[in-house]
Amino acid sequence: MNDSTATNDSPDWGALLARVAEHDDKAAFRAIYQHFAPRIKAYAINQGFSQHAEVLVQEVMTSVWRNAEKYSESLASVSTWVFTITRNQRIDILRKLNRTRAEVVIETEDLWQIPTEDTTICSIQNLSTEKFVTAALEKLPEEQMIALRKVYYEGKTHEEVAEELNIPLGTVKGRLRLSLQKLRVMFEAKEI
Amino acid sequence: MSAYHPDDMTLMNYAAGSCSIPESLAVAMHLCFCHDCRQHVKNLNHLGGALLETIKPASTDDDAFETLMASLESHDHSAPVKVKMEPTPSDRSIQHFTNPLLRYLPTSLANLPWQRQTKEISKFDLTSLINVKGFQIALQKISAGAKVPMHTHKGFEYTVILSGGFSDELGVYHEGDFIARDASHKHSPTALQNEDCICLTVLNAPLKFTGWYRVLNPFMAWS
Ligand SMILES: [Zn+2]
Repeated sequence: MNDSTATNDSPDWGALLARVAEHDDKAAFRAIYQHFAPRIKAYAINQGFSQHAEVLVQEVMTSVWRNAEKYSESLASVSTWVFTITRNQRIDILRKLNRTRAEVVIETEDLWQIPTEDTTICSIQNLSTEKFVTAALEKLPEEQMIALRKVYYEGKTHEEVAEELNIPLGTVKGRLRLSLQKLRVMFEAKEI
Repeated sequence: MSAYHPDDMTLMNYAAGSCSIPESLAVAMHLCFCHDCRQHVKNLNHLGGALLETIKPASTDDDAFETLMASLESHDHSAPVKVKMEPTPSDRSIQHFTNPLLRYLPTSLANLPWQRQTKEISKFDLTSLINVKGFQIALQKISAGAKVPMHTHKGFEYTVILSGGFSDELGVYHEGDFIARDASHKHSPTALQNEDCICLTVLNAPLKFTGWYRVLNPFMAWS
């Protein structure tokens, strides 16, 4: 736990979220908003969502406000929880834009489930997992990290990444495969 | 428990939310059965959280927070129940992963109004529930021991076994297994002897039957 100074300074998001859940605490919610809204917006823009970036931010933050009490440290860190909500809302907005009429279709929430409780894993373990993931990411070679970021975070296809970086498609696939292999090895070594 | 899993790239695409809805259905169905993949997806979700922390923030509108607060507060007055998203509190005992189709099937798997394809093969179509162009999605039921005619694929096909099992030229598959096939495979699965095999199939192009069974194409989607 000696590797990162930045995370030590960041507020206890879990505690702030608990205040939102218990007291509708606006100040706590504002702090969460100020940290996450610009990040969600950046994510939206990276995903090619520029036109609907603000919509996504407002949808996600509405969800955070209304579902704060469902957050549990035993499940994930707050940033992972916010990420999963953001991911689902992005998919949901896209699906709604593409829908031609009101139909019975399977809900995004059924396909990408955000668990609400998991008593099998203790919270301390989970929070250290997140730190561990961050540390694992830092161990990836730069070129693998770039490819992974583009695919995971910007929703780019392998072909688009190849074109953007001006490298052969096979090289992109190789870098991604290596990065995922390395992450899996690190995850499993940690036995989380 | 399962022996056949989605590969790491598929799990990553799922966690990132960049795979299609039909593909995510197949992955989600496998997650119901597979603790290892649930764990790995959880780790890959953490990856999303970690990336969110390291992203270069974009500037938001100055009054965006106040606007949001105003709309939240006016809504919260009219609707005092704050929690709206699924699942409801009564579902909270569910610890892992719920069958994503559970809410959409009229009855249990055994009692579904199966549509007969041949004497030994029937299906329950889900294409309209998923409603994504270019995909055929169905539950398939093969009688114990029955053989599906040889076919190849134009696109790719994911199969998740919900009960029973089958074998083909490449292996033997059981409950929970996730099997991915693409255009390079030509196979004829046979259900295992002891019980009927029920599985979810996600297909991104019509099947092409080799031999005379092609007259059945494309109504009989199965791998
Ligand atoms: Zn698995």
